[in-house]
Amino acid sequence: MTEIAFTGAFLAILFLFLGTGVWVALSLIGVATVGMLLFTSRPVGDAMATTIWSASSAWSLTALPLFIWMGEILFRTRLSENLFRGLTPWMRLLPGGLLHVNIAGSAIFAAISGSSAATVATVGKMSIPELRERRYPERLIVGTLAGAGTLGLLIPPSITLIIYGVTVNESIAKLFIAGVVPGIVLALLFMGFVVVWALTRRDAAGESLPSYTLAQMMRGALLLLPVAALILLVMGSIYLGFATATEAAVLGVVGALVLSAAQGSLNRESFLESLLGATRTSAMIAFILAGSAFLSLAMGFTGLPRALAGWIGGLDLAPITLVAALTVFYIVLGCFLDGISAVVLTMAVIEPLVRQAGFDMIWFGIFLMIVVEMAQITPPIGFNLFVLQGMTGHDMGFIARAAVPFFVIMIAMVGLLVAVPELATALPSAMSNAPG
Amino acid sequence: MQILQALDRGLDRLYGWCGYVAAALLVTLAALIISSILSRLAGFYVPGLAEWSGYAMAGASFLALAYTFRNRGHIRVAILLNAVKGRVRHVLQLWCLLVASLFSCFLAYYLVKMTYVSWRLEDRSEGADAVLLWIPQSVMAFGAVVLAVCVVHSTLRRLVGAADPIDEQGPPDPASEP
Repeated sequence: MTEIAFTGAFLAILFLFLGTGVWVALSLIGVATVGMLLFTSRPVGDAMATTIWSASSAWSLTALPLFIWMGEILFRTRLSENLFRGLTPWMRLLPGGLLHVNIAGSAIFAAISGSSAATVATVGKMSIPELRERRYPERLIVGTLAGAGTLGLLIPPSITLIIYGVTVNESIAKLFIAGVVPGIVLALLFMGFVVVWALTRRDAAGESLPSYTLAQMMRGALLLLPVAALILLVMGSIYLGFATATEAAVLGVVGALVLSAAQGSLNRESFLESLLGATRTSAMIAFILAGSAFLSLAMGFTGLPRALAGWIGGLDLAPITLVAALTVFYIVLGCFLDGISAVVLTMAVIEPLVRQAGFDMIWFGIFLMIVVEMAQITPPIGFNLFVLQGMTGHDMGFIARAAVPFFVIMIAMVGLLVAVPELATALPSAMSNAPG
Repeated sequence: MQILQALDRGLDRLYGWCGYVAAALLVTLAALIISSILSRLAGFYVPGLAEWSGYAMAGASFLALAYTFRNRGHIRVAILLNAVKGRVRHVLQLWCLLVASLFSCFLAYYLVKMTYVSWRLEDRSEGADAVLLWIPQSVMAFGAVVLAVCVVHSTLRRLVGAADPIDEQGPPDPASEP
């Protein structure tokens, strides 16, 4: 009986710390400390120190700051302009025209940056004013950006996917490769929605697009070439087994610096800003991961994960029911937590459950990215909503409503991933034997 | 009073310097990995590069903690905080800072203790580098101590009613959030 009371107290403290706004990493450390005091007589502080030391100095973690840095460098280049100029002559051929620039641009930027907020900001910086000028409906300008921006989590490199890989001890290289096809499929679904919208309501779309000559289209493609080369360098070296995720990340940093220098965007100031920005973001994430490693240890002592896995196992749920339940769970959680915290906080409990249910952990990682993506665009806490609010001046409610169709498409994507798991699993199993 | 103001400014400078050293460690990390790629291409093996990369990572993460805290870089669930104003907000911030002070001091104490034990026992890494563990651990422990100082510093500032950088509200920086 005391077990249950302790568990209740443990969860209550977790909600108290997180809910009142104590910094996530320190909340995790605090909750884990209280948990260990309640459930074991082991020396808490010493266990904490060794756990945090080994979690923070792990080799697998080193890909994280490097991919963040790569994204920070590219964020400060003229990439946003080049993406827009390069894509426009091609995308105007599709029904829905330049709205597709938002989606394709996000997908391309997502393939060189691990962050969904940076994706929204980079693509939107150029496309919002241009699309407004051409009188596209505001709701779709905002909606396509909010929806497609979340591709940053799914299309590799992805910071959240690295965090998942580190937490459950799966190969980051394989997870990255697994994200490629679902990412492209989701982008195509978004574009399909815009096409259908444009065909059914042809009056509303911006019509006054100039036509482009073939030479202009080729010049556009040329602008996209450096980005394509960078994507091939990073993802190709992982897929062919030439580089680990960390090594690919460092190649990406070097490539991003070269690209930035070639464009004339690289100077002392932008270099330092990108480096310090990466230092802050990776310190924030590494601290959360350190706290979560300690929390996992404490969770183990509470017996909560085992009990829950046993209970769910005893229910004999069909896998599809479990997936549906987890989807709802993460969407609700995503209303209050950001993606990283949601992954880190739940994996200690969810991992044994998912393993026992017999899910492929690579597949589950991709599933998790899509549900966490949804969390990015659900109010009241959705990071992409904040970014778009700052960029467009609309209130949160308008942006969230504009994103609803894309939210529905993501739910459909989860269904598709359940029906055809090979979308995620085929490429990684065909991969050359990747190191780490 | 003047001594306190000097201390206040000095500490702020300390957090900044630690941030710069952390950034330098990040560059070191990149350099280590480039040299591991190059050495592999050239066909020889440098032992311990993976371990040293891990140490650089841990050092960079912890040294930057205080600097990141001062720049509002650590995430928190701000729903409640943004919903309240004035005195309630002040008390809530104070509560958060007190909890954070407690656990950051706890963390700093035990990381220092772990480093001290490693030093006394002359513990060595199990990896190919076989380095004395207290050397990389002390960088991490130092970072944790600076964070503890920084959080307590912020708490004291709030108690005396000084303007506090962590209380400013504004749109988050898209470049530095995943």
